[in-house]
Amino acid sequence: MTRKRFVTLTLVPAIGLLATLALVSIAGAVWFAVMNRTLRSPDYDFVGAYNFLRLLRDRRFFNALEISAVWEAVTVIGTLALAVVLAVLIFETVKKPLTRNLICFAFLVPVLLPRVAAAFIWRFLYSPSLGVINYLCGLVGIGPVEFLADPSLALISVAVVDIWQWGLFFTVILLKLMETLPRDPIEAAMLDNARTWEIHAYVTLPMLKGPLISLALVKAVESLRSFDLIFVMTGGGPGTATETLDLYAYQMGINMGGRISYASAMSLLLLVVTTVAFTIIWKAGKKWAS
Amino acid sequence: MGKLISATLTRAVLALLIVLALGPILWTVLGAFKELRDIVTPVPKLVFTPTLDNFATILRNPTIRDGLLHSVIVVSAAVLIGAVLGIPAAHTLARHARKWGDDVQFFVLSLRFMPPVAIAIPFIVIYLDLGIYDTLFGLVLVYLIVTVSTVIWLAVPAFERVPRDIEEAAAMEGCGPAEIFWRFSLPVAAPSLFGALVFTFVLVWNELLLALTLAAQNATLPVVAASITSLGKEVPWGVINAATVLLVLPPLVFIGLLMGLLNTMVRSGPK
Amino acid sequence: MANITCTDIVKAYGAHPVIEGLQLDIPDHEFVVFLGPSGCGKSTMLRMIAGLEEVTGGRIAIGGTDVTDLPPGERGVAMVFQSYALYPHMSVRDNITFGLRRQGASRAEIEPRLTQVAELLGLEKFLDRRPRNLSGGQQQRVAMARAMIKTPQVFLFDEPLSNLDAKLREKLRTEIRKIHMQLKTTTIFVTHDQLEAMTIADRIVLMRDGKIEQMGSPDEIFERPASRFVADFIGTPAMNFVHAEIVAGDRLTAHGGGMTLHLSPQAFTTLKPGQRVELGLRPARMDLCEPGAENALSGKVVLVENMGAEGQVITEVAGQEISFVTQAFRSLSPGDSVCFAISPDHIHAFDPETGDSLRQE
Repeated sequence: MTRKRFVTLTLVPAIGLLATLALVSIAGAVWFAVMNRTLRSPDYDFVGAYNFLRLLRDRRFFNALEISAVWEAVTVIGTLALAVVLAVLIFETVKKPLTRNLICFAFLVPVLLPRVAAAFIWRFLYSPSLGVINYLCGLVGIGPVEFLADPSLALISVAVVDIWQWGLFFTVILLKLMETLPRDPIEAAMLDNARTWEIHAYVTLPMLKGPLISLALVKAVESLRSFDLIFVMTGGGPGTATETLDLYAYQMGINMGGRISYASAMSLLLLVVTTVAFTIIWKAGKKWAS
Repeated sequence: MGKLISATLTRAVLALLIVLALGPILWTVLGAFKELRDIVTPVPKLVFTPTLDNFATILRNPTIRDGLLHSVIVVSAAVLIGAVLGIPAAHTLARHARKWGDDVQFFVLSLRFMPPVAIAIPFIVIYLDLGIYDTLFGLVLVYLIVTVSTVIWLAVPAFERVPRDIEEAAAMEGCGPAEIFWRFSLPVAAPSLFGALVFTFVLVWNELLLALTLAAQNATLPVVAASITSLGKEVPWGVINAATVLLVLPPLVFIGLLMGLLNTMVRSGPK
Repeated sequence: MANITCTDIVKAYGAHPVIEGLQLDIPDHEFVVFLGPSGCGKSTMLRMIAGLEEVTGGRIAIGGTDVTDLPPGERGVAMVFQSYALYPHMSVRDNITFGLRRQGASRAEIEPRLTQVAELLGLEKFLDRRPRNLSGGQQQRVAMARAMIKTPQVFLFDEPLSNLDAKLREKLRTEIRKIHMQLKTTTIFVTHDQLEAMTIADRIVLMRDGKIEQMGSPDEIFERPASRFVADFIGTPAMNFVHAEIVAGDRLTAHGGGMTLHLSPQAFTTLKPGQRVELGLRPARMDLCEPGAENALSGKVVLVENMGAEGQVITEVAGQEISFVTQAFRSLSPGDSVCFAISPDHIHAFDPETGDSLRQE
């Protein structure tokens, strides 16, 4: 078999399938976005930019946009901050490889949980009447706290679960990365009498700049897939306090009324914004990291 | 003395961290063996008479049993097809693609940027029109976007780590590109590839949104679990805990493998 | 076994040429070394002969057959890689016999040949091991066995010894040479180590910037370097260079850098008084002498480097550092005044502009 035939035979099926499915979903979204299709009836008409114009007057849409932005910021920053702090802490205090590995295993468990499972586990813990967290709060005289029913707390409470899953996972990655760093610059800094936190702030973490940027990007992409967690924990509530864009699109398009075209317009906007944003960030991050 | 105190303190902090990581899960496992009256107590109970009732309830429940079966079929089919299509493509991208290889890889990666809801909403209508709404086939098809792209994404670096010399040595002995792939690159990269497949498996096993939108009777386990809340009048916490344990078990089996994958990825330099 | 002919070879990556119009003829049975600094194109040349790189232009023939468009497996060549490139998922036995098994050779055919090469390379005990359980030297032997068992027309070695420590490198170098004397297979060996090249080659092809700088036996390259670059690249310690001018007189004499040196009139027939030259003085060709001897230079010892049997003495002669090698180095210490000389026959002269040798014979 010649090289050319091998290349064609291996690439065409996989890339062809991906391209077809991607094209179908994007073309479908564009098509339905300019129609007035609903799930109830199979008939539909062309309505032009009507759906998009309505979006601009939809308060709930802008609320979802805001919630999504806050969600992204809180989970990305929270995850990275937790990971950096814990990785440095473990790197400095745990020297035995066996203990380190045990901690790594424990920290890998949460991210492996299905989001649905994580959501149930924490709903159970957060429960005002029978949750462990409220019991502990009660011991110190607070409570009972309505973590998921209080609009000012709900988003943060769900974000904690996300950070619990991903922050611990990133801790393991960072710890492994720190172990692969060359010892020389760290030892040079020690000879210069640098304090432990100075070594990490000025030597190790800057050396990990590239991976940290990649991790931030991976988390940002992953945070967009928050649907599962929020859906099971709060369903977007109380009210619309935790309703992100994908949740709102789902509610509009499928759950309530099945206004497919309106939801399509929304998801199309979401698609364009994320694709453009991530393409720019990805390319810039690659340049910056190298 | 000060040293002793700080050593004890670090140990306490580390113990606390492990409790934070595993505690919630262990508490759920414990809850799965409790009767409802042991759960609904003002003071959390550590000592109780364990019961298997919750597991019996979910395993006797036909919806949950079907969900489990559907999950197994859909996930294994999607991962298998993803592997068959994605692994050879990844090898070609890693070895034979020079100029346009990066663009193809970027396209594959950009599929991971795609919000799932942007796939789900057009697909539900298309599936309804094609008559494959609420079928296992339809679920497998849409999951292929996830599996093929994830397999390619993770397998390209795995093939790049295969020393080029080995493939050239095989070429010197007269092997063509297909034979080099099958007899050399594949076995040498096998451990990393296995890790990539496991990761892909976990991704689709855990998926909720697409299954929730594109299936109703034929939904997967996460969908069924997500809907348990409304099984009875009271919130059946014991049953929910048992279902969670069932959902959590398969991914956790692979934790060791994932750790190995992580180690090789980190050592060969992150991308 | 076969001769190799490369005609007008051109290799370019995009618009950037690496090799331009290279001509090369390697006769049957010869052991040729491609030598040169990294990036000179020697490995690229080898890989093009192997078929692992496509040529941009020109033809390659092995044993009279044009192989330019043949895949590597059909050229009748075998290659040993710098990293050994053993198949990690196969035993040593399977590594060595893979090529033969692939061609469908029978067990009865393979076994005696396997025994033969394993014996030749001392691998009998390791046949059932995996490559990762072998030392670097053993892995290199397996790689050689894998190349040899196919009895190819040509052996190609791509810096095969550079991952080994110095002692093992020397040992395997001798072994490779012995095996070549026995099998007489045409061999091309790539290295950047001039000492390795000198000791192992029938002929050295010295390359620089994608061109052949000089081609010849190790003696020719050492004694008659075609350019200042070759003279500088070959030989340890490195050659001394002195800018000088030919002066009028009854003997051919150059004067410069506070030195007056007689040159061989038979070697340099075209030099004229007033011409500027760059003289090359090999440290190994100089030794201590009585003051007043022919071509005597006097200087002050700066440093003495002990190399065991002999020593390199670095001196300052009229403000320029000149080194020479002597066995009597132990009697010298920094600050001493010394006299040393070089025979006119061993002085090289190069054109200061082009770097070409001015030697005529």
